[in-house]
Amino acid sequence: MKYDVVVVGAGIAGPIVARNVAKEGYSVLLIDKKSAIGAPKQCAEGINITVFEKYDIPYDKRFINREIYGAKLYSPSGYELELRYNDVSGVILERKVFDKMLAFYAARAGADVLVRTEAVDVIRENGAIKGIRAKHEGEPIEIYADVIVAADGVESTIARKAGINTYAPPHEFDSSYEYEMLIEGFDPDMIHLWFGNEIAPRGYVWVFPKDEDRANVGIGINSDNPKTAKYYLDKWLKENNIPAKKLLEINVGVVPVGGIVKELAKDNVVVVGDAARQVNPMHGGGMAEAMEAGTIASKWIVKALEEENLELLKNYTKEWWEKDGKRLERVLKVRKVVEKLTDEDLDVFIQVLSGADAEKIAGGDYLEVIKALLKHPKVLMSPRRIALLKELL
Amino acid sequence: MPEKIRIIVNEDKCYLCGGCAGVCPALAIRVSSSRWEFFPDKCISCRICVSTCPVGALSAEPLEGES
Repeated sequence: MKYDVVVVGAGIAGPIVARNVAKEGYSVLLIDKKSAIGAPKQCAEGINITVFEKYDIPYDKRFINREIYGAKLYSPSGYELELRYNDVSGVILERKVFDKMLAFYAARAGADVLVRTEAVDVIRENGAIKGIRAKHEGEPIEIYADVIVAADGVESTIARKAGINTYAPPHEFDSSYEYEMLIEGFDPDMIHLWFGNEIAPRGYVWVFPKDEDRANVGIGINSDNPKTAKYYLDKWLKENNIPAKKLLEINVGVVPVGGIVKELAKDNVVVVGDAARQVNPMHGGGMAEAMEAGTIASKWIVKALEEENLELLKNYTKEWWEKDGKRLERVLKVRKVVEKLTDEDLDVFIQVLSGADAEKIAGGDYLEVIKALLKHPKVLMSPRRIALLKELL
Repeated sequence: MPEKIRIIVNEDKCYLCGGCAGVCPALAIRVSSSRWEFFPDKCISCRICVSTCPVGALSAEPLEGES
């Protein structure tokens, strides 16, 4: 079979690219190795409310579990930091519906979609990549395409087989483990995050409510930690006397939190989303980043096809790095400082920061916040804290 | 040179999340929707996959005495 574009992976980035390119009249095939798009997921399902309008996604109640009005952060000793809005600031999705609907929008825009289809390798002819070899329900198929989009998640197999360097050291990944479970006692209109070196080394524990008494309860820790994510989550639940007896789902995954791929397009192959390590290194969320990358990638794929000039795909690398890459590199710098904080430091910072400050820091827009922090007495007393903060200036 | 090893999966624990394949520097692991596969000739014995697995489903066993 032959298409203008083949997209490998129907998570977030893949369907966005497939939809946008198909909409312009080009032939697109979107494949996914799973038999049901969206499941299993590797995600806590929280996303900012702004993405629906920004990326032209319907605000459809079928995939919105709950509207959220802010976040509460907890320090190791129990200090709290609250960021509450009057209006809805985010939602907790149902990925198994959301991802499927994104693929549906792509199909509706003209793309073909094939599930239970695993990309195995690229097809090389005379040194050039002509498409991919895949298996559909076990039967080998060859898919020829002018442009190959590697949106195949953390494994990043197709980009690597195409010679794009997506390697990142083990410290640049988080291991995560999550229950969807019944849980009570937490404000169900807020997301909740717990920090601490004993609680969740390098990461945090989260409660993302999907109902008044049902939530995604999960954890992310540095993947080079000798203990498992599951160990730390079960320990936290036990220490907080939260019964884990009504478990509806278990989801596990590995999340890139650094090591963003430098070269996002090589010849006729482009890499997007987790496969390109386009994830917020501070909180490990990558859905909005995947939408942004998918939008920029699809714009340049369309231009390259229009002008029959695949060199134009390189503009995706350039534009993405100018728009989102720079920001994520700043967030990565914050992550590298935050992971050096002791539990006492975390207590201090959660006490002295406002919710809005924390939001700016996680979003990469932190210069003013850091400057203000450097004048705070609790920071001034500690040369080590000053040194850490100055790494961000 | 580190000791040459083989990675073993506990299929009852594994969720096929693909994380081990993602962190493997050598493409020595492939995870399909129904199967976990190991390619010993590609493995560089770094054990990164073992510590990454969120549920501890992977272990390493020495390859000594075999060839």
